[in-house]
Amino acid sequence: MSALPRPSTIFLAAITSLVAVLLYSPLFVPIVSSFFIISHGNVDWSSPTLSTYVALAGNHDILAALRTTLIVGVCTVILSVVSGTLLALYYHGRRSGRSVLQFIIFLPFLMPPIISGLALLIFFREIGLERSLLTVVIGHTVFVLAIVYRTVLMRLQSMSRTLVEASYDLGATGWQTFWRVILPNLSSAMVGGAILAFALSFDETMITILVTGTQSTLPVRLWAMMRLGFSPDINALVALILMFTVLLCVLAARFLIPRQMATERN
Amino acid sequence: MNQNTDLLTLRSVSKSYGTVPVLHDIDLSIRDGEFLTVLGPSGSGKTTVLRLIGGLEPLTAGEIWLDGQEISRMPINKRPFNTVFQDYALFPHMTVSGNVGYGLSVRHIKRKEIASRVSQALELVQLGRFADRFPAQLSGGQRQRVALARALICQPRLILLDEPLAALDLELRRQMQEFLKSIQREIKTTFLFVTHDQEEAIGMADRICVMQAGHIRQLGTPHELYYKPNCEFVARFFGENNLVAGKLGPVQGEQRPIETALGRLVCSVSGQPHLKAAADGASAFAAFRPEALRLADANDGDNRFSGVIADLAFAGSSTVATIMAGADNAAQRLRLRMPSRIDGSILKSGETVSLCFAPHEGHLVLA
Repeated sequence: MSALPRPSTIFLAAITSLVAVLLYSPLFVPIVSSFFIISHGNVDWSSPTLSTYVALAGNHDILAALRTTLIVGVCTVILSVVSGTLLALYYHGRRSGRSVLQFIIFLPFLMPPIISGLALLIFFREIGLERSLLTVVIGHTVFVLAIVYRTVLMRLQSMSRTLVEASYDLGATGWQTFWRVILPNLSSAMVGGAILAFALSFDETMITILVTGTQSTLPVRLWAMMRLGFSPDINALVALILMFTVLLCVLAARFLIPRQMATERN
Repeated sequence: MNQNTDLLTLRSVSKSYGTVPVLHDIDLSIRDGEFLTVLGPSGSGKTTVLRLIGGLEPLTAGEIWLDGQEISRMPINKRPFNTVFQDYALFPHMTVSGNVGYGLSVRHIKRKEIASRVSQALELVQLGRFADRFPAQLSGGQRQRVALARALICQPRLILLDEPLAALDLELRRQMQEFLKSIQREIKTTFLFVTHDQEEAIGMADRICVMQAGHIRQLGTPHELYYKPNCEFVARFFGENNLVAGKLGPVQGEQRPIETALGRLVCSVSGQPHLKAAADGASAFAAFRPEALRLADANDGDNRFSGVIADLAFAGSSTVATIMAGADNAAQRLRLRMPSRIDGSILKSGETVSLCFAPHEGHLVLA
C-alpha cells in the first residue's frame, strides 16, 4: 500500500468511493423513503414519519408471506446443516467418489435456478408429491446444501488431524471424540453455514415460484405486487429486511473467520 | 521402577505404507523408567516407531509386548501410553484445565477428583495460573507444557514425545530440555523421545537409539555412541568426527593399526570383539574427535602426521581449525577443536603443523 505514490492513492480512493456510491446509494432510497412521505415525486423532508411502518403492521398479506418465508428458512437451515455436515464428515479424507459427490451437490447451486426449479417441479409431479411448503423446503435445501457442505468441509480440512489422534490417545472412544472434539470445532462453521443458508433461502424466488403451492414467500409476494405498484409500506419492509440482512452478514463473517485468527487480531 | 527390567519390547517390527517399506525388522527394548531418545535424520522411520507404539498406526509385521503381554493389536485408546504431539494438538475450544482433564473426564472420573488432579498436574508444569486460558492465549513453551501435563495426568506407563521442541526457539528449547528431564526424574515415568537433533539427544537421554533408513543402527548411552560408534553412519551423524579410510592391520592386544593416507594409525579396540574379529586387510575407518586431535610435540610418536591449516573459525569457547592432511596436504580434510584463548589462537592459517591423537582416543569403524 505505502509503496504507491500519493497522487495515485488519492485517485484510487476517488474511484473506490465513486463505485461505492453508484452501487450502494440505491439501497438507501427505500430506507429514506420509509421515513418520509413522497408525493408527486418530491420527498417531503419536513415531516419524518413512522406511518409506513404502521401501515406495514396492518398489511396481513405481507406479514403472512414473511411468516412463510421464516418457516421455510428455518426448516431449510435445519435440513441443510444436518445433511451438509453429515456429507462433509462422510467424505472428509475419503478419496474415492468425492469429486462426483461434490459435483452433484454443487450442480443445483451453479445451474440457473429456473432449470433446478423445473427439474424439481417435474420430479415432484412424477412421484406424486403435492406442491406445498414441504416442496419449497426441499427445493431450498437442494439449492443451499452446497454452501453448508463446503463451509463445513473446509473447516474439517483445516482441522489438524492430530486433534482426533490426541483424543483417542487420551483414551476417548470414537463417540466421545466426535461429540467433544470434532463437533465443537465444527460448530462455528455450522453456524456460519446456517446463516448463509438462511440468507439464500430468504430471497430465493425462481425455484420457489415453480414448486410452491398456495402459500407465497415474501420475495414471491413482492414479485406479484409489482404489477399493481408498491404501496409505501413496502419501503418500510425493505428497510427492515436490509437491516436484518446486514446483521446476518456480520454474524456470518464473525463465525466463519477461524478462531485462531480472531484471537490473534485481539 | 527398576531400570533393568524391560517395559516395552518391539520384536521384528516392520511397517510399510502401501508398497513402500519404512521400518525393517526392528527389535527394541525400552527399560522401565528410562529416558530413551530415538534419534535419526528425517525419513529414518523414527516417528513411525513412536506411532506404532502409540497405536496410531497398525503394524505390518512383528509384535509389541508390554509387561509380558502382547499389545500389537490393542486399540489406541486402551493403551496405557500418552503422546505429546509435535504440534501439541491442544483442543482449541477447551481451556487449559479442560485440555489437561480430558483424559480423565472421558474415563468418567468424578469432577472433584479431576479438578484436584488437574491442578496438581498444572502445578507440576508450573502453569497453575493459566488454568482458565485458552491454548491460543499461550506462548509456544506454555502450550508445550500443557501438552505434557495432559499426557502425564493419565499416569501412563510410557510417555511418547514426537519432536516436541522442534517449534521452539533455541533458548526456550534449552530450558524445555532441562525441564523435561527434571519432570521425568520427578515422576519416574518412562519417556520415549523422538528427535532429529543430536545435541538434544545427548543432553537428555539415558540411552539413545540411532535410526537410519528404517533400521536401528546403534542403541547405547550417549557416551557409548560418541566414543564407540559401531558404524560409519553413527560415527558421522553423532557429533563432529574425523573419519580416515584405510585397511586394518593385525590386532595388537587392545589396539589395532590401520593403514591410511595419513600413514599407520593405531586405535583402541578394547571391549569391542567385532573389531578384533574383523579380517586383516578389511576396509575400515579410523575415527577420532576434533577435540582428540592436537598439535604434536617432540615426545609424540604414535599417530603422527602433518597438515596445513586451511581455515580457522572462532566459535566462542572453542576454536575450530580445518586442516588438510595426507599426501600433498590435500588428501584428507580434518577438524581440530581446541579451547579458545583470550590472546588469540596459537594456530595460524596457512601454517604447516605436525598433528597427532592418542591411540586410546582413536576408534575404528568397519566400512
